[in-house]
Amino acid sequence: MNNIEETLWNYIDGNCTPDEQSVISTLIASDEAYRLKYQELLILNKEFETIELEEPSMAFTYNVIEAIRTEQAQVPLKAAINKRIILGIALFFVISLTGFLIYALSNMDWSGQGMPDLAAKVPVNFKVPDVSSHISKPLVEGFMFFDVVLALFLFDTYLRRKNISRQAN
Amino acid sequence: MQSKLSDIELIDQVLAGNQAAYADLVKRHQRFVFTLAMRFAKGREDAEEIAQDCFIKAYRSLASFQRQSKFSTWLYSIVYTTAMTFLRKKRVDTDSIDDENTYIQVENQSSAYDVNNAENKSRSFYLNQAIEQLLPDDATIITLFYKGEQSLEEIGQALGMEANTVKVKLFRARQRLKEKLERNLKHEAKELI
Repeated sequence: MNNIEETLWNYIDGNCTPDEQSVISTLIASDEAYRLKYQELLILNKEFETIELEEPSMAFTYNVIEAIRTEQAQVPLKAAINKRIILGIALFFVISLTGFLIYALSNMDWSGQGMPDLAAKVPVNFKVPDVSSHISKPLVEGFMFFDVVLALFLFDTYLRRKNISRQAN
Repeated sequence: MQSKLSDIELIDQVLAGNQAAYADLVKRHQRFVFTLAMRFAKGREDAEEIAQDCFIKAYRSLASFQRQSKFSTWLYSIVYTTAMTFLRKKRVDTDSIDDENTYIQVENQSSAYDVNNAENKSRSFYLNQAIEQLLPDDATIITLFYKGEQSLEEIGQALGMEANTVKVKLFRARQRLKEKLERNLKHEAKELI
């Protein structure tokens, strides 16, 4: 019986080859068992087509879009920092360091023996600002604390991103 | 008036930055996605959570949608994996997916509280009741085939199976659904007598 049913379902679904289809058509017309089963399955098939879809809550679309917006609002922590700003800061440091290097190299006494005498070329009135008074122990500790917090924050962001991408896959 | 845009046109708009287009996509597919989620979750709240999660995941991965299949097929594959993950997370006994006994309880409950308003029940009510009593896999295949406008190949793509496997599973699911439907109707007839 299962075989008849399987064959007839294939016939109803249109999964048969033209040859099979004509054979089954003949069977339905000539064989009472096939005809009755076919009628029964046709009724069932029609009934299955009336399955009703469920309706989510009224706010469903709104909730989805809101969740996406919230997610996007969290992303700018890494994306909102304009790359040009970062590039500008990097450029400033590169230019400053290159300038200092060129200045230092151009003031070196390459003619002398041993180490070049840089100090001799430094203008007499040049005074290196004394910053030692500003660097106190609490300041260093504060700086270290900030560094640790920053490192933890970046590590947390990295783990979150990894988690999100794992969930997305 | 703007004519109805296709899924692909809406996706192009979303990728161009138009978030409202995604709301249209959600509206278009939400009933089906929610119904599929209901096949697994058996509770509206959980099903909404799954369905919402699916649309968020789809939004995130929209740029990677290859467009070699229908958007709906791709979306349903997300629903299937999300629902399976949800079931595992919720620990609604992973075994229950293969264990029909778990559903006997649901079956008995639904037939118990529905006795009072027997008069109002239509045949489609019994059909939906019977679907609820099926295993998630069976209910999903039936729903995808009859309501998702998906071919056997597309259902296979969504569920990660061969089309032939889907064909066999569909046949068995139909048989089980028929049995449940008959049993429910018989039970109801007895109650009325």
